[in-house]
Amino acid sequence: MKTKHQGWGWMLAVDFFFAGMGGGMLVIAGIIELFIGGGNTSLLGNILGPLFMCVGCGFLVLELGRPLQAWRVFMNPKAILTIGAWIMSIAIVSGFIYASFGIASDAIFWKDWTFFRQFFALVNIVTGLVVATYPGVLLGRHKGRPFWVGPGIMALFLLSSMVTGAAAHLFSGFLVSAPVSQEVLNNLPGLVAAMLFLQVVLWCGYIWIKLTGTTEAEAASAKRWLNGDLADGFKFLFLLMGTVLPLVMVLIPTILTQGIGSLLVLLGGVSMRMLVVRSGEDRTWLPGEQKYRARLPLGCEDFMKKVWDNK
Amino acid sequence: MARYAMVMDTRRCIGCHSCTAACKVNNELPTDIIYNPVTTVGPTGVFPDLHMSNLPLICMHCENTPCVDACPTGASIRRDDGIVYVDDPKCVGCLSCVMACPYGARVKNHDTGAVQKCDFCKDRVAEGKLPHCVKTCHQKARVFGDLDDETSEVFKLVNSSNATRLLGELNTEPFVFYIFEKR
Amino acid sequence: MSKKVDLNQPGIEVKKSACYFCHQNCGVLAHVKDGKVLAIEGDPDFPTNQGGLCCRGNVALQHLDHPERVNYPLKRVGKRGAGEWQQIPWQQAIDEIAAKLSSIRSQYGAEAVATAGGTQRTDDWARRRFMNLFGSPNGFHNAHLCWIPTFMVETAIYGWCPFDLDLGSSRCIVLWGQNPGASGMPEAHHISELQEKGLKVIVIDPRFTETASKADLWLPLRPGSDLALALAWIHVIIYEGLFDQEFVAEYCEGFGELADHVAEFSPEWAAPLTWLTPDQIREGAMMYALNKPGNIQWGTSVDQIGRPAGATMHARAILRALTGNLDCPGADLLTGPSQDYLTDEEMEGNEFLPEAQRAKQIGSDKFKLVTWPGYSKISELTRKTWGKAPTAEWMCEAHPPSVFRAIASGDPYPVKALLMAATNPLASYGETDVVLEALRKVEFMVACDYWITPSAMFADYIMPIAGALERPIITNSYGCADFMLASQRAIQPMYERRNDFNFWRDLGVALGQEENWPWKTVEEAYYSAIAPIGYDVESFDEFVERYRFHFPEREYYKYKRQGFATPSGKIELYSTVLKDLGYPPLPEYVGPTENEVDHPELAEKFPLVLTTGGGFMPFHHSEHFQIKDLRFLRHAPYMDINPRTAAELSIKDGDWVWIETARGRMKQKANLTEGIHPKVIYTQRCWWYPEKDKRDIEFGGELGGALISNGNILTSTADKDCDPYSGAWANRGLLCRVYKVSEADQKEVK
Repeated sequence: MKTKHQGWGWMLAVDFFFAGMGGGMLVIAGIIELFIGGGNTSLLGNILGPLFMCVGCGFLVLELGRPLQAWRVFMNPKAILTIGAWIMSIAIVSGFIYASFGIASDAIFWKDWTFFRQFFALVNIVTGLVVATYPGVLLGRHKGRPFWVGPGIMALFLLSSMVTGAAAHLFSGFLVSAPVSQEVLNNLPGLVAAMLFLQVVLWCGYIWIKLTGTTEAEAASAKRWLNGDLADGFKFLFLLMGTVLPLVMVLIPTILTQGIGSLLVLLGGVSMRMLVVRSGEDRTWLPGEQKYRARLPLGCEDFMKKVWDNK
Repeated sequence: MARYAMVMDTRRCIGCHSCTAACKVNNELPTDIIYNPVTTVGPTGVFPDLHMSNLPLICMHCENTPCVDACPTGASIRRDDGIVYVDDPKCVGCLSCVMACPYGARVKNHDTGAVQKCDFCKDRVAEGKLPHCVKTCHQKARVFGDLDDETSEVFKLVNSSNATRLLGELNTEPFVFYIFEKR
Repeated sequence: MSKKVDLNQPGIEVKKSACYFCHQNCGVLAHVKDGKVLAIEGDPDFPTNQGGLCCRGNVALQHLDHPERVNYPLKRVGKRGAGEWQQIPWQQAIDEIAAKLSSIRSQYGAEAVATAGGTQRTDDWARRRFMNLFGSPNGFHNAHLCWIPTFMVETAIYGWCPFDLDLGSSRCIVLWGQNPGASGMPEAHHISELQEKGLKVIVIDPRFTETASKADLWLPLRPGSDLALALAWIHVIIYEGLFDQEFVAEYCEGFGELADHVAEFSPEWAAPLTWLTPDQIREGAMMYALNKPGNIQWGTSVDQIGRPAGATMHARAILRALTGNLDCPGADLLTGPSQDYLTDEEMEGNEFLPEAQRAKQIGSDKFKLVTWPGYSKISELTRKTWGKAPTAEWMCEAHPPSVFRAIASGDPYPVKALLMAATNPLASYGETDVVLEALRKVEFMVACDYWITPSAMFADYIMPIAGALERPIITNSYGCADFMLASQRAIQPMYERRNDFNFWRDLGVALGQEENWPWKTVEEAYYSAIAPIGYDVESFDEFVERYRFHFPEREYYKYKRQGFATPSGKIELYSTVLKDLGYPPLPEYVGPTENEVDHPELAEKFPLVLTTGGGFMPFHHSEHFQIKDLRFLRHAPYMDINPRTAAELSIKDGDWVWIETARGRMKQKANLTEGIHPKVIYTQRCWWYPEKDKRDIEFGGELGGALISNGNILTSTADKDCDPYSGAWANRGLLCRVYKVSEADQKEVK
């Protein structure tokens, strides 16, 4: 149904991608810090975590109808988006502070304050987890969007955040080594491969359940992924290029394959979110509504654009 | 305190779209914005055994507003009398409410960047007048009033056995009710 | 919400105006300050709409000062159709037009000047008066499509047309080809209310319309086959003993002849012709005959079926007489012309038109009923009984297609000038090719209009006319009914717009008619019309402000006192009036204008049956396509086609398709719907595209898209296809074919 687009667009998908990846990176770095020890992740990776979150915020602000008023999103504590905004702000600050501990410079006078490093690592884990999860929670609570509604999408988003975060750390490690030891980073490919495998299983399960075990509206929305306008993107971009291919590639122990594999994981992450946002165009349509809206003008018609005068 | 509600009698609605036009024109909406479409359901069946009806849609002014819950800036407000509206200066156009509403009641204004929607013509209601869509309807298919007033027509219609809600299973608790034909 | 108007501010006057965008003329309150209308709303105290206002009424303010409105007289300076204009003062335009008309009159005779109108609602009694004083018999409207043939046939049969339905106590209404749900909202509401109290509604319509969907019985007949249906109903009512024996015996002539005549017209005979089952036909007849009192609400569709039209109207009229549903409570009332106020006929000045000129009325030799021959005979009869005659500006007109042909060909004599008021003939008169040729060839043309329409594009002068809120209105069915509703103007016309009354008067004065135009303003004219009623008012505005309506006491069964205005004084089922005019005294069966039984070779090429002309919101005929808020609600034309037929033609919902008849083809988008018979096609009427270049094709324009999706490209006005009684041409019951628009012709109509 061709109608004028009224809703979230690709910029929000990109925001979800960067924010989720950043959140995942913070969680991973934080867990490694607390359970294995400091210096096992690349400085680049530690900086990219919060930096990606900033990039995500940037896209979020650009998506707004009134970007200059963006500060208002902090104002309503009852909204998930507000809570998310606050937590993400804390995560960004905490993330940068944590990363700063790894900067080899005398200006960083706090770099040996281990307690604080671990404190911020903990904050990173908690806030990063929230940032990695809340978009999925946000979408899952949309009663009127059949593809999103339900608890399943929360897991899919969290998983994607984690796997893209892991892949980003892996890739960062190729560019800038971890100060203390590369060993943890060298074990990341296995983790990434395992998560990618889980991703295939969960996505196939999600779509199959939507298609066969839920409401008519949900089944219709899932059909778009199977043989509708989202099918090519889903099967080729996300499943093949973004999940299965990198799964194979990261298991091949060369920097080239693992490097490209990591980037493909990121491709998978962004394409997944684009598809999900587009599938949000489906609403719990009311009787007769689709036909009515399909017949409305799109705005590009001559009579819409014409400046009427009596010449 | 009043509790405003509207009842749509689809047995009477004849699908003339006057309510849509009246709202658009009197509220000076941008050309491409409609607050209250009237859809046509059918004709269903096979010629000549057919059935057709019309469904006037509008913001449902819910009790459990998904839109107000989703709004990060507090621009989306539900009053005690049930009217849900947008406080324009606070709206940043994040479209969370647009995505949250299962009824498609909210629209983005591409010129101002903000979101707007039906507010039951609250300024007219404050003066004791009817919303434009109700007043303009020749068929008298739309009834508006205070549900807390037991003498009101809305009260009688809502409490009769045939008033129902759209998408009631979503628990939004809309305060726009529908009367459908008995088949 | 931006501009909020404070209606309580000081200095606001509330004017009791009217909507004016259709014949219902719903009451509108206009809030005026300092000569500007600040807001409008439906008048809650007006009896017909009670505060309601449809799509069209709501855009009054956008219409009033739309940037495309013609505000000053325009004079053509380039070639005809090139769209080059010079603004000139009103009086200069009048003087130049008068001079030209005068010169045409001395060279070719007054009959060489014709005038064309639209749905009327304008002060066409003034147009008629001008023409009568000028000496030309060639004024016309789209009347042939709208009620007038029906009016005159029914008047021939029972002495007036019973078009005033006394619905209050009615038990059944037949909506014969009428869809008030999409066009006449107060009527739709009235019917809905009564349905809730038990009124039975029968809808005769090929389409499952808004109104049909709420009916108790829907008869989806083959377009144009109404005559077979009506004859079969007569048969059922007579042969199953459902007629009112007393009433027929005492008040009807010709029952025996009628009974013999319809003996063969059983439901079984009618079924294959109407595509209904005998049971459906019987059910309808019985529902009407047994639920008394009942009404038959005429719709304009029977006026538009062409060749069978007159006979159909006669047959339909007989139904009321057989059941006694005439001039009694709950039925259709013979109100007669008002005895209280001056009717339009009394203001038209027909006495000024000499007999010799009347005889020159184009079309009156071919089609007698709604031209001087028929009108003279019938008005003589009505004057005897009622004291007055029906309005001539509707009931006695030149035959429009014949006038257009005369303009183009000079046959029967040259017609050199066309003055159009409130009409866009390219959109609304039949057989667009004929109209277009006339508009291109006419020597002199004036258009009185709100807009520069594609038709006005060919004018030598365009005169700006006052529209809704700028004019006072009397709603009284042109003096054909006894009641009256009055509305005042909210403001004086803006810019240099004038009432059309003033155009005709000013033109008349410039041509020496001044002594016969005693009223200077519309209000003065209206006041002189209503003064005889005897209300204690000094002006028309005072009447509106203090009284607004005049509903005389209803007298039922008038025929018991005065008989019927026919030669015999009774209802003439066997009509001597029609016979004297050379028409069958009983309705003879004739098939639809183009049909598969009588024209099998045509049906091979054009296998589907076409109906056009049905109205739809938010437009009215060809009006409002340039009002963006309304155009947004329906921006492209859709034709109705059954999904099975569409599948056979590989047409999907929303595809652009060609609809073609023997006259030509046009394109609309496909609306697949079960609400229409698989062999029937419906096209929306009057579509044009004001956003397109309105200049003629040879100048690089597109005539405002008037040739793209216009239903009248398909219709026929050939003499053989017109109703022999009235000359009403054929919009419905034609044969057509449908096929997809190919990629190559997909000149995207955006």
